[in-house]
Amino acid sequence: MSADNDTKELGHEEFDPIGTLVLIGIYFLILVGMWIFTYFIEFLGNGPTVIG
Amino acid sequence: MNIHTYEKIWLIGALALIVGFIATVTYGAAGAGVAMVDASGGTIDANAVTDDEDFGEPRVEQVGENEYDVYVIAQQFIFRPDTIVVPANSTVTFHVTSIDVIHGFQVVGTNVNTMVVPGQVAEITVEFDEPKEYGILCNEYCGQGHHDMEGKLNVVPEDEYGGESE
Amino acid sequence: MSAELEGEELFLDRFPKEARIVRASLWSAFIALGIGGLGGLIQALHRTNYLRFIESADYYTVLTLHGVLLAISFTIFFLVGLFTWAVTRSLDRPVEDIRFTWAWYLTMVAGTALAGIAILGGFVDSIPISADVLFTFYAPLQAHPMFYAGLAVFIIGTWMAGLDWFRSWWNWRAENPNERIPLQTFMVLMTMLMWYISTIGVAISVLVFLLPWSLGLIEQVNPLLTRTLFWYFGHPVVYFWLMPAYLLWYTVMPSISGGRLFSDPLARVVFVLFLLLSTPVGIHHQYLDPGIAEGFKFIAMTNTMFLLLPSLLTAFTVVASMEHGARQNGGEGYLSWLGALPWRDPAFTGMALAGLMFAAGGFSGMVNAGMNINYLIHNSLWVPGHFHLTVGTAVALTFMAGTYWILPQLTRRRVYSRTIALFQVILWFIGMTLMSNAMHRAGLIGMPRRTAEPQYDGFAFDAGFSTVAELDFQIAIGGTLLFISLVLFLGNVIVSLFEGPMETSVDASLSDPLSGPEDSPKVLDNLWLWTAIAVVLVVLAYSLPIAAIVSDGGLFGPGTGTYPAWLLGVIP
Repeated sequence: MSADNDTKELGHEEFDPIGTLVLIGIYFLILVGMWIFTYFIEFLGNGPTVIG
Repeated sequence: MNIHTYEKIWLIGALALIVGFIATVTYGAAGAGVAMVDASGGTIDANAVTDDEDFGEPRVEQVGENEYDVYVIAQQFIFRPDTIVVPANSTVTFHVTSIDVIHGFQVVGTNVNTMVVPGQVAEITVEFDEPKEYGILCNEYCGQGHHDMEGKLNVVPEDEYGGESE
Repeated sequence: MSAELEGEELFLDRFPKEARIVRASLWSAFIALGIGGLGGLIQALHRTNYLRFIESADYYTVLTLHGVLLAISFTIFFLVGLFTWAVTRSLDRPVEDIRFTWAWYLTMVAGTALAGIAILGGFVDSIPISADVLFTFYAPLQAHPMFYAGLAVFIIGTWMAGLDWFRSWWNWRAENPNERIPLQTFMVLMTMLMWYISTIGVAISVLVFLLPWSLGLIEQVNPLLTRTLFWYFGHPVVYFWLMPAYLLWYTVMPSISGGRLFSDPLARVVFVLFLLLSTPVGIHHQYLDPGIAEGFKFIAMTNTMFLLLPSLLTAFTVVASMEHGARQNGGEGYLSWLGALPWRDPAFTGMALAGLMFAAGGFSGMVNAGMNINYLIHNSLWVPGHFHLTVGTAVALTFMAGTYWILPQLTRRRVYSRTIALFQVILWFIGMTLMSNAMHRAGLIGMPRRTAEPQYDGFAFDAGFSTVAELDFQIAIGGTLLFISLVLFLGNVIVSLFEGPMETSVDASLSDPLSGPEDSPKVLDNLWLWTAIAVVLVVLAYSLPIAAIVSDGGLFGPGTGTYPAWLLGVIP
């Protein structure tokens, strides 16, 4: 859009979304950690719980 | 179809998360023994609850050595009994129904939480180990006085329990 | 192939009649947003006990207004405006009959007005009209028949809108027989197919049970049955809110980022997955309901967990498209490319922040989806904490950002103040962070949702390392910041219209995807195949549970009486 000195065109073959992979990898780790915490500590630690 | 390698990696990661979530919940059910509210409480004629042999008199009743049944009626805007007393080290089955609209029955600070639907009996079994005083609140909007709807659940030391229900 | 507007011709010049409808729809959306948003502020200050100038009984009237105006009127009026633009633009053809288009729009307006009047009646005690039943209107709480009629009329209007877009597509296809469906039109059609399947449940509940019951034609309804029919609809409706936001993220945001959509085929796959999986999951809102077997709840859970997949895929594709723009703009490195994005553009920043917040909302949604962990948070303040991140930000903030982008093409005016726009979207993000984070934490300690005064006589909430006062403070402040942001948004848009027309045009062109529709299997465009599979999945998920509910309790019972919510409760 804006004419910038650094502007270039990246075609399909030339672009690997490594930055996206890094971000989504971080997100993955956050999700796993938050899930384990929320399930095993917040939930199972919030007893008594319905068992029947 | 052309999927970039990185997105394939993420697809596998996403599916692993999904399977992991399902597996955790399954562990909770099969391993930790958490059971869902279901249809085992049966249905009831919501217009004739007071004639029912169990709900006619909402109360705590001992049914085994450390086993208790509690019959609870939820209505606009109270629980009956409004104070439930059970001893520690007991297994308590709550039977909860409504005579008017949908309510919620939640023992605050615990996972004891169920919907209360007129015409249905919510049956949930819980083990109480330690003595403690809990609040009960209605967490499903039930009308103008919904925010005033509360009760108590007192788990008393065994030697203090005298069979009283309110 | 996406048809690009020629040179500098604005949408409103090429399609003036359609632009009028789009503007009208967006205005309806913004009026609903303003009133509903004011309700939100009142609620945030009331339940935290900072400012109570209404009766607590009226809180529930405000809450009904807030839920209906925001989750039905605002979101869906925006959708119909956006979709009219998207179909017209991507097929490069005017609507088939503009009178039909106005007819569905006015039907929707009439429906909203009817329901709105019923709700507002709840503020006036002397008028026996009210609808203090909240967005979910569970029987035996009962609203005035105008409420149910209004909702039904509104939904019918949306059905007509879908038919309008299908007609455009059928006629375009007759003239372009071998072409792939343009991506934006594909997304619109898939969304509407999902909508047709999902509204069946609530249409039956309202037209067969609740409306006749409120008119006194039938005596009782089965509360569990009508509640189940509501949630049959109640989950897919959230995708009706999300899919227009996804349309913006997939087809507009890459261009705003200076890049190209990473993959058109994957975007189609995502929308196919939404059509298949949005509806056979509704029972996850009923995990704690008596009268529904655990097996049915487990099936709903499995379907729900797989429904995470299209959103998780979207995260990748959308971020990759942004990254493409950043790298074309000189961005480098593993993370520093983020700096090469157009953060000064309020349309970009709004959508980016909306997407970021959605990632957090996705987590709390994953928790909500977990069958037994639901005991922890059901009907607690965690639930609104969750959906204010999703519909309240991912959708609403994207819609606001999208408005800034589309405004010149619809009105020939520039946005009045870019600075205010940028400030406003960031303020929304901050306000929501405060409010929603506190709502989640309050829910974990047992504080209920939908409660005017969550302060109880017999017990106190144990807030662990924090205090209830701190949580209430964050909710009040967050809600206030959100309202200020909302006022700035509406003000900015309104004042824009008083500016003189633009002298130079804007570049509204949308870039072509990196991987285009020619790379996607033709079967993805086979709408009827996906519809058929979607219907089968719904039948599998719902036929047995509903059969059990009806056989256990009866089609019209066991109910109680009716609970017009304007009567005081009876205490023995």
